[in-house]
Amino acid sequence: MLSQLARLFRGNRELSTFAICVALSFTLMALPPSAKDALAHVLGTPLRPFKNLKTKGDELVGVRDENYTLRRLAARLMDEKRALIEYKHENNRLRELMAFLVSFPEEEHLALLPAKVIGMPGVRTIETIEIDRGSLDGVAAGRAVLVPEGLVGKVVRVQADRAQVEPLASASSAVSVTIERSRVRGVVKARYGGPGGLLSWEIDYVPARSDVLLGDLVVTSGLGGVFPPGLTVGTVQSLEEGPLTMRVRLDLAVDFSTVEQVFVVTGTRASLPGRSEAEERLLRELERTPEAEQGTEPGAPPGTPPDAEAEPPLEETPVNEETE
Amino acid sequence: MRGGTFAALAALAVILDATVASEITILGARPDLLVLVIVYGSLLMGGRAAIAGAFIMGIFADSQMPEYLGLNTLALTVVAYATAGVWDHLVKTNVMVQCAVILVATLLRDFIYYLIYYRNHMDMFFDFLLRHGIIGAAYTAAFGVLVYAVARLRGWRVIAGGNQW
Repeated sequence: MLSQLARLFRGNRELSTFAICVALSFTLMALPPSAKDALAHVLGTPLRPFKNLKTKGDELVGVRDENYTLRRLAARLMDEKRALIEYKHENNRLRELMAFLVSFPEEEHLALLPAKVIGMPGVRTIETIEIDRGSLDGVAAGRAVLVPEGLVGKVVRVQADRAQVEPLASASSAVSVTIERSRVRGVVKARYGGPGGLLSWEIDYVPARSDVLLGDLVVTSGLGGVFPPGLTVGTVQSLEEGPLTMRVRLDLAVDFSTVEQVFVVTGTRASLPGRSEAEERLLRELERTPEAEQGTEPGAPPGTPPDAEAEPPLEETPVNEETE
Repeated sequence: MRGGTFAALAALAVILDATVASEITILGARPDLLVLVIVYGSLLMGGRAAIAGAFIMGIFADSQMPEYLGLNTLALTVVAYATAGVWDHLVKTNVMVQCAVILVATLLRDFIYYLIYYRNHMDMFFDFLLRHGIIGAAYTAAFGVLVYAVARLRGWRVIAGGNQW
């Protein structure tokens, strides 16, 4: 039997090779685990550099993909950051405007319509400010336009969904004003060739030796009926005594180039219904601002006792704008 | 010349199998480059060289999984012996025949390997053969077309027709 088998293998070299290989395979399978590990370690040595190369290649591809993903993420985050900064500025601006809207002197009873600046056409100075409210919103020509810092100008042209405002900065503008402290009156007009700028603003018709000091606050007088009285226009920048009149240069309170949100005076509050529930809620929220929590009224100087600047309760009685 | 080429291809197949074969899977199945080399090795070099080559390739492949050392050598050796015996009865230069031999050889290798690997979980063995074995075999067989095309371009007549390589 064995001799027959030996003859078979001797005559068939392919079969004998196969038999030897199969026998070796089973022998390998039968090795103890430690021997298998040692043998595999030796046999795996020639393959290890290639596997390391592959691992490094995978890492490089991974780093490239990660880099691409991170770059996209960074771009998106930068975009979001820009948007958030814009929202933050808008939020601050709207808060200021809302605080202004709420803290506006009640006795003036002005109905203010918020509007957004959508254009500032002009060649070298700001000739016109375009806002996104028009006749459909109740805007009419001649209405005053304000921001918390002071007077912006008046509406000169109205379309259905937009209106053009002539700012104080316009060369053709003229506003009746008064020095708040001394009640000296005059008319603010633009002059070409002011110090450090293309235009400057002066108060005309101020009699010589009037009680005007540098830094005096200049407000609207209410004369003419266009602008409500008491709106801030600017401060006195320089004085020059003349034989008959004083030359009073003015520093405007509003920087027209940065105006983004404005209010249009659309009438008196008496002509409007009372505060809505939403407005009341907003008022309560504004009263809970940090300033209010520190014991001061919103808008009052720091350290002012809570009731020192308190306004009388709102009375919905109409007040004539032409009282002055 | 043929021996050197076969050895180089075998070494390349072992390296590629250990490194990038897992990157070119289709439906979870990877091509069996070792079987591919063994099939064409047995066609070009004869049974003895193919069996010896299969054993050597198998032992290097086994070094990746020491626990099953000897399993790849056994499976590939059987494949080499079987294909070497089959070629004498087939038209070697027919691409379809070559693909069919590769397909059956890959299935045979999987059958032997996973029969022992899953010896205690026969349900998983059949499941694996159905899900991955057949697809993997077909994928490997598709490489036969590629080899045949290269052989035609390079004028390797033993594979693509003729008597000389």
